[in-house]
Amino acid sequence: MTQRNLWLRAVGFMLATLLVALLGVWLLFGRARSSVQTDLLAMLPATERNPLAEVAAQQLAHANGDRIILVTTHADDAQAKAAAREFRRLLAKDTVFASVTAELPPFDLQQLTAPYLGHRFGLLTDADRQALAQPGYDPKRALAQHINEPFATAVGARLQDDPFGWLQHWLEQQPWSRSGLLPEDNLLTAHRDDGSYVLVTATLSGSSYDDVIQRRALSALDQAERSIEHDHPGTRVLRTGALFYAAAARSDAERDVHRVGLISTLGIALLLLMVFRSLGPLLLAFLSTAIGIIAATTVSVLVFDQIYLLTLVFGAALLGEAVDYSIQYLTARANAGATWNPNRGLMQVRPALLLALGTSLLGYALLGLVPFSALRQMACFAMVGMAAACLSVFLLLPALLRRPAKPLTDFSVRGALALQNAVSRFTTGSRGVLLAALALLLAIPGWLHLRHDDDVHLLISPPAVLVAQEQQIRDITGLGNGSQFYLVQGADEEQMLQREEALEQRLQTMTDAGQLQGWTGLAGMVPSMRRQHANQALTAALFAQPEQTRQWLHDAGFRDADIERLLQAWPGTPMGLQAWLKTPLATPFRYLWMGDAAPNTAASLVLPQGNASHALLQQAAANLPGVTLVDKAAGVSGLFGHYRRYASLWLLAAMLLIVPVFGWRYGWRSVPRVLAPPVLGIGFTLAMLGYLHHPLTLFHWMALMLVLGVGANYAVFLHEGEPHVTHRPGAMYASVLLSAATALLSFGLLAFSSMPALQDFGLTLLLGIGCTALLVPASTASRIFSS
Amino acid sequence: MRSLTRILLFALLLAGFNAQAQSPDLLHSILNQLSQHTAVRARFTQLRQSPALTQAQTSSGQLLFVTGHGMLWQVQQPYPDTLALTGTRTVRIEADGRMQAMHSERGVSQISQMLQGMLTGQLDTVTRQFEVHADGSTAQWSLHFTPKPSRMAQVLRGIQLDGGVYLQRIRISMQDGTQTDIQMTDTHDAGPLSALEKHALGLP
Repeated sequence: MTQRNLWLRAVGFMLATLLVALLGVWLLFGRARSSVQTDLLAMLPATERNPLAEVAAQQLAHANGDRIILVTTHADDAQAKAAAREFRRLLAKDTVFASVTAELPPFDLQQLTAPYLGHRFGLLTDADRQALAQPGYDPKRALAQHINEPFATAVGARLQDDPFGWLQHWLEQQPWSRSGLLPEDNLLTAHRDDGSYVLVTATLSGSSYDDVIQRRALSALDQAERSIEHDHPGTRVLRTGALFYAAAARSDAERDVHRVGLISTLGIALLLLMVFRSLGPLLLAFLSTAIGIIAATTVSVLVFDQIYLLTLVFGAALLGEAVDYSIQYLTARANAGATWNPNRGLMQVRPALLLALGTSLLGYALLGLVPFSALRQMACFAMVGMAAACLSVFLLLPALLRRPAKPLTDFSVRGALALQNAVSRFTTGSRGVLLAALALLLAIPGWLHLRHDDDVHLLISPPAVLVAQEQQIRDITGLGNGSQFYLVQGADEEQMLQREEALEQRLQTMTDAGQLQGWTGLAGMVPSMRRQHANQALTAALFAQPEQTRQWLHDAGFRDADIERLLQAWPGTPMGLQAWLKTPLATPFRYLWMGDAAPNTAASLVLPQGNASHALLQQAAANLPGVTLVDKAAGVSGLFGHYRRYASLWLLAAMLLIVPVFGWRYGWRSVPRVLAPPVLGIGFTLAMLGYLHHPLTLFHWMALMLVLGVGANYAVFLHEGEPHVTHRPGAMYASVLLSAATALLSFGLLAFSSMPALQDFGLTLLLGIGCTALLVPASTASRIFSS
Repeated sequence: MRSLTRILLFALLLAGFNAQAQSPDLLHSILNQLSQHTAVRARFTQLRQSPALTQAQTSSGQLLFVTGHGMLWQVQQPYPDTLALTGTRTVRIEADGRMQAMHSERGVSQISQMLQGMLTGQLDTVTRQFEVHADGSTAQWSLHFTPKPSRMAQVLRGIQLDGGVYLQRIRISMQDGTQTDIQMTDTHDAGPLSALEKHALGLP
């Protein structure tokens, strides 16, 4: 190939890279919304077979997601309240908050009872319904008991409107009456031994996951907090909301990307300098990997519309594998010395690179088959990144590396040779078999120690401080975000409400038994028509004969005009769900109604409160038609377990895929020896994880797949490369060790990530690649070299 | 809303009051005097007047109060009826001893917390809501409670307590004109509790 051709190809490749980079920049920064997805839950798969459950989960997340709950607390009541008022005033100044509420709006008792008056005979509590249904029910006695209740009597409904107290009891069990917060001085307040707690709520003017909103809201909050802590010393502020979790996840991931990216870049740079003794190769190696990362990011955003934080962190680690291709080419150049010809060098490394790329692509393609969008995105990212980095070696590097280079540093080659010979000596013949058997024997107890763990918290590990604050706020206010809820569906509103009633009856039993703190559902606020008609029928026994009723009420002391009005009001009309949803009282509960989400059906959410186990909640929904427990976290944990169990099969499948490739290239007899380093590396890694009492997760298995890919690469590089460097024994193994060191520097650093999943990933790679790189000389052990 | 009122009334009834009153010494003496009796029995007569009723309603019976656990309110006239008002809930006790939960408002659970707090010296719970005014002597005293401007003041006009060694009378006046007047007589230390009483109040 001529010089001109070399240049033409390189320029064409650079132009294409530039176009891809421009597209990537536009995709990432040029669009109205951010392409980086910081909502960790968003990358969880659609676990539920019921698509409406996904919509419901989103609706709930939105209802909770853009809301912030703040609580000011102080040992002194007046200070806590003053702090809450000042907090509200300060936050309200910032437009990042759509609303900030501390003081309650003007309050009118009539507003509370008026919407219910016309429907009161259809609204009965369970206790009143049971009492009315009993054969010995005595209306005169019921009247006397209500009128003579100890201390104060009804405050909500007027006595003459509600002589039996039914509506009063109904109103008392509504969610707003059950709150642990009491209105004091127009603020919602709770008192504990250590002081007063005052509630302030705020709604964001945008999404909690929007990074601009995050930054503005957090800085406004921090500033306001500092200000009230200054004005009211001793005040503490508790906060919870999706905003804080999202911001914490983002800063963790950003720190990981920066740290892993920076340290691995510096480490790799230092290594390359030590081995190649010049800056040129270093820059080219980085250029090649940078091209890989740019292409991978652009294609991932293009295919998946947005890129997950986890993929970016994984991408930072991928630097280590992508740099291998250029290392091979650079080593070939260094070894060729003065006889270097860029095209011949390319011919020389081509089989190794293509074979290595092929096995990597096979491995990642297998990962891409997983129906888990985060894993798929990583697979896509890796495949595109590897292919682009490899392509850059073929198209770009020859044009830039036309002149010969200094040979590899002496000490690196000699060190590699010493290691290679030592390993080879121990792994040849009967001694090798014996040692392998002994090592495997030692590994057995480790394998027996292996356990597994599929908890979703591997992926989402919010800071303990935030969790503690949310827990405290939930204890005090009864407010908080749960990820568990029931989805209740019916052919129409009526069927849906009836099914909800069946569910809520069980939940109430659990609540009475102390297994559950309580529940919130629409049927508790608007009973089904069937239930309302049944309630009216129960009261009919009392109102069917007006003369008698008139007499009872008269004897109890009620005024004739009020009695007539009450008799006229009976039976009233049932309360309709749609009418109720339009009342101001329903505002905080409207998100429970899923009416708009699906045509021709009715659906609603029921939220259990308290720390009931998944099994218990599942039991409450058992055998109830139309009721589904949606538990995103438990669902995903189950899915993790499912994938983990199949991951071992994938690993086996990936090994089997490589066998024919190696068999075709190196002959079937050599396959066991070539495959031995990665396979034994994986076996020993598993044993060590067992000895370390590390429960296995899906992420360990993902890492083992990378170990297989990387390990196969090393075997290929050594096999393909050695015949070309017979004049310099050890040089090829030096390049493999260089590759391994760069991989350890990038992947291995993930072991220090803040995310448990990435820690597992990093540790496994650290052990696996370490073992494999040490064992690789065994694959060519039949030849021993001397310097 | 009713639960809210009741909590505070209950708290008032059963415990002491803070020193923000005009005669703090008198207030403290009264509190001290009351808190010496941890379990008391009394006869009560409750007279209720309501604008909705043409004539006042009278009920009477026995009450048992145990500090830190709650109260058993046993009406004998006009109809027998037994209510247990404990820290966590209000329960009606049927003639056959069956207990039936009446309300399970969360607010009621604060009663026992407030009670315990007050008897261990944290009295500000009441003064957050009320202006307290004491007069008389420890032998015969009156306490007047006026709600501070708040939601409570929109429904409650005021409360007056009268007593000597024991609490003798409670008068509750609501903004809608409802008046409740509870008179206690024959008050004495409770002595041993029956099995039913212990069960109803959740005692061991």
